[in-house]
Amino acid sequence: MSIATTSTKFRSVDVDQYNEDNYQDEQTEDTSTSGPDENQVNQLLNMGKNVEALQLALKNPPLGTKNQAVKDRAIALVTRVLLSFKSSEIEKAVGTLDKDTTDVLMKYIYRGFENPVDGSSGLLLTWHEKVFASAGVGSIVRVLTDRKRV
Amino acid sequence: MSATLKPYLSAVRHTLTAAMCLENFSSQNVERHNKPEIEVRSSKELLLTPVIISRNEKEKVLIEPSVNSMRISISIKQADEIEKILCHKFMRFMMMRAENFLVLRRKPIEGYDISFLITNFHTEAMYKHKLVDFVIHFMEEIDKEISEMKLAVNARARISAEEFLKRVSIGYAVAVNAMAEFLKARF
Repeated sequence: MSIATTSTKFRSVDVDQYNEDNYQDEQTEDTSTSGPDENQVNQLLNMGKNVEALQLALKNPPLGTKNQAVKDRAIALVTRVLLSFKSSEIEKAVGTLDKDTTDVLMKYIYRGFENPVDGSSGLLLTWHEKVFASAGVGSIVRVLTDRKRV
Repeated sequence: MSATLKPYLSAVRHTLTAAMCLENFSSQNVERHNKPEIEVRSSKELLLTPVIISRNEKEKVLIEPSVNSMRISISIKQADEIEKILCHKFMRFMMMRAENFLVLRRKPIEGYDISFLITNFHTEAMYKHKLVDFVIHFMEEIDKEISEMKLAVNARARISAEEFLKRVSIGYAVAVNAMAEFLKARF
């Protein structure tokens, strides 16, 4: 008999991946939404215009890209903007955002919880409360179910 | 510090209510089988985004939802050595009796102290809002119980030191105080 029949390497091949019914995570590299403009946001923050800085920071969320560095930069920027608010100003700021932006904000809040620094979690909890009061349970469900993670 | 407790618990409550939307889903790989997808992790499309809610650097909750099951892992505040030991033993006590708890997981997820696994069968047999109430109540009570146990340990250490030293004749009162101070410093 030929040598090929003694090899059992075929057992470790995953044939299921070639099944055409398989779920393909349809993440085409989408560089059109490549994160908020950092310099402008920083300028607005320095001028004390928190609400405008927030609106700008939430404008182009890097949902489509696979580049982790872009996402990390965006998260760091948005977290800085969120922490620059005082508890009393949060409700007004949430009121100025529209529905889609509120969903993006909720995603960023949950990402902010993953890296707690001094006192950040307390303020993020206040943000979470106010956004929930405005958008309801649906916003949390959309964070959990959306495949495009921020 | 306790000012963050209420918003923390309400954030966890809302997230749990959102994540506990589970439905029956048979296994796609093995026919006639029904497995909790968050444990099996066989297909990516059935797993939802895991979220963390943190109160500070030490206390946090990880919620991992999927289509027919969800996992909640809690990291409990442990301020010093004795609280760490008490927490570890208490959690171990409960996890050994996980079958009676129904929703408890026998092993916690890496990095956390205790984990719950809730499947669609649980939500079909029990009220969803009651399950959420249970988890929140659990989180509140754990901290209280561990503090109580710590006080009990210190009290017992002091009493047993007193009784032990009553038998010693040399400078009884001085010795008792010295021993009690020493034990207090140890714990």
